[in-house]
Amino acid sequence: MIDLPFLTDTFLKLAAALPVTLGLFFSSFVLGGLLALVILAMRMSRNPLLSGFARGYILVFRGSPLMIQLFLIYYGLGQFELIRHSFVWPVLREPFFCAVVSLALCTASYTAEIFRGGLLAIPAGQIEAGMACGMSRWLLLRRIVAPIMLRYALPAYSTEAILLVKSTALASLVTVWDVTGVAQQIIQRTYRTMEVFICAALIYLILNFIIVQIYAWIERRLTPRLRAVEAATAQPVPHAIAGEKHD
Amino acid sequence: MANLGFGENGWGGLILSATLTTLLLSLAAMMVGAAVGSGVAAAKLSSRRPVRWLGDGYSVIFRGIPELLIIYLFYFGGSGLITQIGQLFGADGFIEVPPFLIGALAIGLISASYQAEVFRAGRLALNPGEIEAAQAIGMPKPRILQRIVVPQVVRYALPGLSNVWQMSLKDSALISVTGIVELMRASQVAAGSTRQYFTFYLIGGTCYLVLTVLSNTAFKKAEKRLGRAHRSRTAAHS
Amino acid sequence: MTNYAPTTLSMKEIRKSFGSLEVLKGISLDARKGDVISILGASGSGKSTFLRCINLLEMPDSGVVSVAGETIEMKRHTRGHQLAANQRQVESLRSRLGMVFQSFNLWSHMTVLQNVIEGPLYVLKRNKKECIEQAEKILDRVGLLNRKDFYPAQLSGGQQQRVAIARALAMEPEVMLFDEPTSALDPELVGDVLKVMRNLAEEGRTMLVVTHEMGFARNVSNRVVFMHQGTIDCQGTPEEMFGEQGSPRFKQFISSHQAG
Repeated sequence: MIDLPFLTDTFLKLAAALPVTLGLFFSSFVLGGLLALVILAMRMSRNPLLSGFARGYILVFRGSPLMIQLFLIYYGLGQFELIRHSFVWPVLREPFFCAVVSLALCTASYTAEIFRGGLLAIPAGQIEAGMACGMSRWLLLRRIVAPIMLRYALPAYSTEAILLVKSTALASLVTVWDVTGVAQQIIQRTYRTMEVFICAALIYLILNFIIVQIYAWIERRLTPRLRAVEAATAQPVPHAIAGEKHD
Repeated sequence: MANLGFGENGWGGLILSATLTTLLLSLAAMMVGAAVGSGVAAAKLSSRRPVRWLGDGYSVIFRGIPELLIIYLFYFGGSGLITQIGQLFGADGFIEVPPFLIGALAIGLISASYQAEVFRAGRLALNPGEIEAAQAIGMPKPRILQRIVVPQVVRYALPGLSNVWQMSLKDSALISVTGIVELMRASQVAAGSTRQYFTFYLIGGTCYLVLTVLSNTAFKKAEKRLGRAHRSRTAAHS
Repeated sequence: MTNYAPTTLSMKEIRKSFGSLEVLKGISLDARKGDVISILGASGSGKSTFLRCINLLEMPDSGVVSVAGETIEMKRHTRGHQLAANQRQVESLRSRLGMVFQSFNLWSHMTVLQNVIEGPLYVLKRNKKECIEQAEKILDRVGLLNRKDFYPAQLSGGQQQRVAIARALAMEPEVMLFDEPTSALDPELVGDVLKVMRNLAEEGRTMLVVTHEMGFARNVSNRVVFMHQGTIDCQGTPEEMFGEQGSPRFKQFISSHQAG
């Protein structure tokens, strides 16, 4: 039988933890995005030291589990006297900020690769056209490269955002009381795994749905020109072409 | 400094055996994922809408819910469920499901949703004319599947599967919450026991990196071998 | 010269529509053993669809298909269209027909030799050694024995099409169907393929060829069928068709296709 009071109570308790999850997500998303741009710049640099470092960074953070990175930062860094007496300690001491740092470092590596993919997809001719106009490197970057790169990277970036939402759940393993952390606590106290799971899962699914919609909206806003051209030249497809492959 | 040797007080042995456990877990998960994933891919390619919805529903669920939550569901809920089923058959008391199976199943079902996408893309990349040619000589459907469709889907799917394999390797670290001693848990145990957190998490991370890099190389080799057929003529001019 | 051989293929009143567009409006055609029939027509005339109805790659909405006296059993689906009643019968019939496609459709993950033995090995279930021997003989006849271990991606279009012909021949078909076999080829490569087809015709193979190659229709085939908007406009021997008895529409068709 469906225990409605329990379900509602659980759902409310989980929803109360939503701000934590959202805080984790937004902070690491923004931080990670900025860091990704830095890593990307290093990766594309002609300096072998810089590009080598960037490649190493990407390899390490994409090749190992987020969980171990998180534990390394949370438990590992706290071991060192140097860190404990430095200015970063107040940040690294708090589980929440520690988790944000770890999530940001990890997502930056994936995002850097996604941006790089978008960069490489830019047709060379469009960059050449900009150069032919006499655009400076910075102007080129700002007006041509960055906008086009972002449009190409959008689909993969939305996937990465969803992965980031799911990754925030790991923060519960270092005593952050996010949705997953609260859910696990309720399960351990009441043993009603299925109901709690469904509530928590629902919250994450709704979150992901919202993110997908936001990305779709951004995509629509950024590519209006393409769609206008399609609408102008589209004709109803004649049956003969739609139905047969041959004559 | 921590003792990494293989002696009595050394942690080397534990780390190594735990790495093996991680590998086995991930392999088991990939196999579960391949089996279930082909089914989901088939569903998503089906001409019947309700079947497609089932496939899409599977993807939404297993790609949208945090892996940790799914593991909690299987771990906390799994034993309870099996015990209930066992009681229906007259068994008494609490039946414990081995964490290895739970972990492999959970990661496997997650991996299945990603493998389904890879298989589906591979199937769509197949030239429909080649299937027609097989039909035209009277090849029965199962045979066409076996001789024409599957070999090519596997070939197209290889790069994607390499990514999914890496994912499963990393996801296997989450199974440490069930207590099974794979690489993550071993690092945790060693770190907590010696208070050398940085050292052992670094070692654990490095072991994962080694596994990742070796896997990458292996997949690249496989892709090369299977891709022979499709490299267009180089010196092969008439 | 009239062909008095037995009828190997009989199509009666074949109709086919795609949605609201009726592509085949009740076509009937008989082919006897040894006939080489060229099917000509403009785009949209339905000639390829008709050919594909013979081996049921397209399902006719109504009409009867018979191969070597055996009629393909059909049944009606609840939604009104036809389905083959017996899939095994369809497969068995298809194994006695050979088809050569416009886009070759060689199996890209198999070598040339493997492509040619695939049918005899897995459909006709013959002994592997026999299949290989036979395949090598056929490849020799189409001039590609020295490429037997190559992959399709390593061959030119003309070579791929000749392999496709070899693959169809390996099944020892009673009738060979050609769906615009040279349309996807560069002009220089067309000749080699037509040569192979001519040899087959001279051997006495029964062939139905949908084509734009007027030379082939005129010089190699013993019957020319001209289709227009889903029906047979006129048919006859090449002498008749390209001579005085061709319909005005056909004459117009020839002249527009011979634009140098």
